[in-house]
Amino acid sequence: MLEQQLVNGFTLGLIYALIAVGYTMVYGVIELINFAHGEIYMLGAFLTLSFISLGLPLPVAVLLAMLAAAAIGVLLDIVAYRPLREAPRLAALITAIGMSIFLQNLAMIIWGSRPLPFPKQAIPAFFNEPALTFSDVTISWMQVIIYAVAVALMVGLNLIITKTRVGTAMRALAQNQTAAALMGINVNRVITFTFALGSAMGAMAGIMVSMYYNTMYPTMGYLAGVKAFAAAVLGGIGSVPGAMLGGVVLGIAETLGAGYISSPYRDGVAYAVMILVIIFRPSGLLGRAVTDKA
Amino acid sequence: MFGRKLTRSTLFAAALALGLAAGPAAAADTIKIAVPSPFTGSAAGYGENVKAGVMLKLEEINAAGGINGKKLEAVYLDEQCEPREAATVSSSIVNDPDIVGIVGHLCSSAHLAGLPAYVREGIAAITPTATNITISSKSKDDAGKAWSFRNVYRDDFQGKFLADYTDKVLGLKKVAVFYENNDYGIGLKDAFIKEAKTLGLTIVGEEAYKKGDQDYTPQLTKIKGAAPEAMFIAGYYPEGALIADQSKKIGLNIPKMGADGFDNADYVKLGGAAVENTYLTAPFLVETAGADAKKFIDAFKAKYNRDVDWMSANAYDATGIMAEAIAKAGADRTKIRDYLAGLSSPEKGYKGVTGVNYFDANGDCLKPAYVKVVKDGKFVPAPKQMN
Repeated sequence: MLEQQLVNGFTLGLIYALIAVGYTMVYGVIELINFAHGEIYMLGAFLTLSFISLGLPLPVAVLLAMLAAAAIGVLLDIVAYRPLREAPRLAALITAIGMSIFLQNLAMIIWGSRPLPFPKQAIPAFFNEPALTFSDVTISWMQVIIYAVAVALMVGLNLIITKTRVGTAMRALAQNQTAAALMGINVNRVITFTFALGSAMGAMAGIMVSMYYNTMYPTMGYLAGVKAFAAAVLGGIGSVPGAMLGGVVLGIAETLGAGYISSPYRDGVAYAVMILVIIFRPSGLLGRAVTDKA
Repeated sequence: MFGRKLTRSTLFAAALALGLAAGPAAAADTIKIAVPSPFTGSAAGYGENVKAGVMLKLEEINAAGGINGKKLEAVYLDEQCEPREAATVSSSIVNDPDIVGIVGHLCSSAHLAGLPAYVREGIAAITPTATNITISSKSKDDAGKAWSFRNVYRDDFQGKFLADYTDKVLGLKKVAVFYENNDYGIGLKDAFIKEAKTLGLTIVGEEAYKKGDQDYTPQLTKIKGAAPEAMFIAGYYPEGALIADQSKKIGLNIPKMGADGFDNADYVKLGGAAVENTYLTAPFLVETAGADAKKFIDAFKAKYNRDVDWMSANAYDATGIMAEAIAKAGADRTKIRDYLAGLSSPEKGYKGVTGVNYFDANGDCLKPAYVKVVKDGKFVPAPKQMN
C-alpha cells in the first residue's frame, strides 16, 4: 500500500511542480505572486476541450491550448500587471486576485458551471490501462505520460534558463532589473517571455489533470493554484529546481497524510509541511538566502 | 471635448430615464418570489439545475396568464452555498416587501444559515433540496409554527434506507463509507452507519473528502486494503464520479451506493464505465411517472437539451406549490405560510410531477424513495424496489 501511495503522491506532485514553476519564474523575475496562474491551468483544460470539439486531434488541440494559454498569460501581464509595475507590490497582488476571479467567472459564462468530462473519444483507450504492475502496485499509462511530459518540460525549461540568451536575460532580471535594463536587455520582452513559458506549462498541467481525472470545472484552478504556490514557497520561491522539488514533496506529503493520518486533514498536512519548512529554512528547500535588493 | 462630454451625459440621462420608466411599471403587475441558491462558486452546477426547474414552471404559469392576472417573477440570489453569504442574502430577502415567498436554499448549510431570519420575520421558504435533519427542529417560531418546508426527504431517511437496501436486497455485508465533509455527507453517513450497525453489517473503512477534491487515491488505496464488498459514497455526483473512476483504476471494482446527490445524468457522463453498478435513491422514477410528469420531462428536454435531474424536478414542484399558495391565499407572507401548513395529508397535498407533496408539522415531507441503478451507461430502475 505504501508503494501505491508513493506512486499516487508522485503523480500529484509532478502536476503541482508544473504549475509551481510558472509561479516561481514570474516571482523570480518581477517579484509578483501571480494568483491568476491557477486559472491559466484551468483554461488549459477547457481550451483543449473546445479545440477537440472543433474536430482537431488531441496532440494539435493540446498544442493550440498551450499556445492560447501562453497568449492569455502574456495578455494578463500587459493588461493587469504592466501598468502597475512601479506601484507598490500590494496593488499588483490585489489585481492578481481580481484577475483570478474574473477568469473563473469568464470560464463559467463560456463553458457553464457544470463539471464537464474530458472527451473520451479523443483519448486513446490504452491511456487508462495499467502500464506496469508489481505485486499490488499499478502504474497506468496516463501516469507514465504525466511523468514523461512533466520531466521533459522541466528539462527543457532548465535548458532554456541556463543555455539560451533569453534565459540568461531572465536570470539577469531576477538579480537586478535596473542593471539589466542598463545593459541593454529589453525588460518587457523578457517578462512577456516568462509569462508565456510559465502559462504554457501551467496549461499542460491542467490538460493532463483533466485527462487523468476525466473531469474539469471552472473553479478547479483555485485549489491547484494555492497548492502550487505552497510548493513554490516550499522549494524556495524564485528557484525553478526548488519549485519542482517542492511540488513533488508536497504531493507525496499530502497523499501520505490522507492515506495514513486522516483524509480530512490532507490539505492541513500539506500546509503543515510548508509551515515547518518556512520556520526552519525560511528561504525554502533550495532557495538562496534573501539579499536585500534595495 | 465639450461635444464628447455632452454626448456621454446625454446617453447617461437617456439610460437613466429608460431604467426609471421600466422599473415601476414592471413592479406593479408582478409578484416576486426569491430563489436563493449557489449560482457561482463550486456548487454553481446544482444552482443551475434548480434554476432550470424554477424557470420552466414560471414560464408555464406566466404563459397561462400568471397568478390572478399578475406575472410571477423569481429573484435569483447567489449565495454560493456558503452559510455566510446565505445569511446576507436572507436579510435582503426579508427586507424586500415585494418578495412574498422563497424557493430555496439549495444547500442544507446555507438553508440553516438563512432560516433564523425567515422564522423571525415571518416568510415561508420551500427548499427543494436541503435534506439535513436539523432543519426540522429549526424551522419553527416560538408559537411552534413551521416556516420552512421541504419537498425532499431527510438524510436520515435516505441513509437508513440505503443501509437496509444494501443488507436486505443486495445481501452485501462489508461496506466502506466515503463521505463529503459537510452537513449533507455527515448526515447521510451517520444515518447509514447507525442502521448498518443495527443490521449487523461491518463498516470496514470510513473516509472523508472535501467538496471539489480531485484526487481520492490515498483514501481509496486505504479502503481497498480492507477488501469491502460495497462502497457507500455520501456526497454529490461530480465527486462521486471521480471516486468511482479512481476506484476502478486501482482495481477496486465493487457496487457503489449513493443518495439523491448522485441522481444526475452527468454522473454517468463523467464517470463512464466506472459508475456501472451504482445503486442510488431517487425521489421519482421517470419510468413509472404519470402523464403530467412525462409532459414535464419532455418539456425539460426540449428547453435545456439534457435529461431532467431530480433537483430540477423538485424545484419545479416547489415553485408550483408556492404559486398555488399565492394564488389561493393571496400575496401575503403569513397567509402563504398558513396555506402551506394546510397541505398536511396526501388528500390535501399538491400533486406535482414528483408525486404528492404534503408536509408534517415540522415542514418535512413524506415521499417514497425509489432505487435506480447504472446499467450499460444509463440510469434504470433497480430490478428490486423496497417500499
